[in-house]
Amino acid sequence: MDILVSQLMTGLSIASILMLVALGLAIIYGVTGVINLAHGEFVMLGAYAAWALQTQFGMGLIASLLPIFIIMAAVGWLVEVLVISRLYDRLLDTILATWGIGVIAQQAVRLAVGGELRYVQMPESLSKSVTILGATDSAYRLFILLVSLALFGLTWGIYRYTNFGLKLRAITQNRSVASSCGINAGRIYRLTFAYGAGIAGLAGALVSPLKSVSPEMGTGYVVDAFMVVVLGGTQSLMGTLASSGILGELSGYLAFYSNDTIAKALVLLAIVVLIRFRPQGLFTARVRT
Amino acid sequence: MSGKTKTEIAICALVCLAILVVPVFLDDAFLLNKYARYLVLGMLAIALSLSWGYAGILNLGQATTFGLGSYCMAMALKLKTIPVHTGPDGLPDFMVWNNVPELPWFWKPFYSMSFGVAAGIVVPVLFATLLGWFMFRGRVTGVYAAIITLAAMVVVQLVIIDQQAYTGGFNGITDLAQFDVAGFAFDAYGSASYYLVAICLTASLFIALAVTKSKAGLIVQAIRDQEDRVRFFGYDVAFYKMFIFAVSGAIAGLAGMLYTIVMEFASPTFMGVPLSLSVVIWVAVGGRQSLVGAMVGALVVAGMQGALSESETFLDSWTLVMGLLFVLVVLFLPKGIAGALEAIGGRFERKRLATTEQPERKDVESNPRHLESLS
Repeated sequence: MDILVSQLMTGLSIASILMLVALGLAIIYGVTGVINLAHGEFVMLGAYAAWALQTQFGMGLIASLLPIFIIMAAVGWLVEVLVISRLYDRLLDTILATWGIGVIAQQAVRLAVGGELRYVQMPESLSKSVTILGATDSAYRLFILLVSLALFGLTWGIYRYTNFGLKLRAITQNRSVASSCGINAGRIYRLTFAYGAGIAGLAGALVSPLKSVSPEMGTGYVVDAFMVVVLGGTQSLMGTLASSGILGELSGYLAFYSNDTIAKALVLLAIVVLIRFRPQGLFTARVRT
Repeated sequence: MSGKTKTEIAICALVCLAILVVPVFLDDAFLLNKYARYLVLGMLAIALSLSWGYAGILNLGQATTFGLGSYCMAMALKLKTIPVHTGPDGLPDFMVWNNVPELPWFWKPFYSMSFGVAAGIVVPVLFATLLGWFMFRGRVTGVYAAIITLAAMVVVQLVIIDQQAYTGGFNGITDLAQFDVAGFAFDAYGSASYYLVAICLTASLFIALAVTKSKAGLIVQAIRDQEDRVRFFGYDVAFYKMFIFAVSGAIAGLAGMLYTIVMEFASPTFMGVPLSLSVVIWVAVGGRQSLVGAMVGALVVAGMQGALSESETFLDSWTLVMGLLFVLVVLFLPKGIAGALEAIGGRFERKRLATTEQPERKDVESNPRHLESLS
């Protein structure tokens, strides 16, 4: 029983991080169709922002979350204006351009603060462990789980209930009709990209106490996030939630029975097979094209 | 044969000739080895240009076939060192360290060098065909094909790293014998190895060129532009895509073998994400829809990268500049440098035609190639 619960918790913990990282990517891809390979670098920049705010200004991690979101949203906005906005009519090329942006971001960070590993302090109040149904888990991991669910809820709320969300859905359904109804698609895309980048920054800040912060940390995240988005179906937020849960638990269990490497290979293989037979993902929103 | 084809062949021949005469003027073992390495990367770029530029399949895992070729060659070369370097039963050193009792069955055929060379082509081709069959029969296209190739590569790499006892794991296969043909050994730092690579490169370039000019090659380009239309004509679209994927895999496999010969080892990084994405950059910069453009792009970018990363001052900033350059190329030269040159050439051609008032002028204006959209 203990083992079962602790396995479940490990899976949930992996899932919540996957969810955090994938959410921004899913929003951007789902709405604009841009394949953002720089997403991992947005995560990395968020982690560095957390480190900088903590060491230079003495801000606690939780207090720095809002500034990090704003900074990264600004970065995303800038990237959209300078590069992405010119590529909406050739989306496959966004893979290349955003990869170039990722290279620039990595190297800029390396030049600015050096390539060595950095560490971010966990908030004092969350560094204890908690016991649930006989299994112990760190309070910070539970905190991440709650925050990722809250962010998901917020995003879903915006999508579902606000005027902005309504326009967003209209554009996703049919951009040209939405435009002729007076919706400024360019502006909506820009805001979406900024929001996605902001969320990525938050994800980076939140995982920074768990893993060491380095310029290369984004590469691993972007591959994982992609798999979540593809598995979930690209236009479904609920799909992102469910698929990060599935992938998290699956990785947790497989890693328990074999080893991390084989678990990862098996999960990737499962996704390859899934794309082949269900390219629209496990969960699909009904979209007219 | 059209005039355009003739110009293309002439350019390819000139470039290859320039590459082949390098050792006549250069007598520096270290530099020759380095240039041979760049030529191998040029072959890899040709392979990607075939699938991406001509067939419209962005293969983010091109390094898989490259790495498979490299490992086949390394296995054969490793077994040649056995009596000299390793344990009692003729086991490669890393197997001794990992307590493998005897040589695994799939290593045994590599005692024969000809088998190794053949496997270096056949294994990548089989892999590419199988992956192509899996994807294209299911009509997986665009981004999804790119993701599948990427994921498949990561799987292969993870398995190779994990099976340390049979593959050397992270360290790869090191400490290899020299490649030899009928008693003549190819020293990695000699001009013979350079010629070997240069000749293979020339052959690959012209084979690839012939493929793109063949009927199958034309159908593949038609598929890139309008897949459904070609399908409605009754062509087996998946078959032609598999074919081009297999040719691309064969060239990449050959490049991988040569890379092992000039580098003198095989490593899991040869089938990694960074290499795969670098190839994409080279091809994009050079021009994906021009084989020789993609190849020259690889030589120039990889060469500059190598030269600047060796100088202390540019070590860090170079990567930044390269990223920037790449973004600019994607934004403003979607067909790469070769595409830009061709567009300039086309403008002169039109002017010339306009002044002589030839009736073909209309054809040039409405040539769909100028209007073709990106897939």
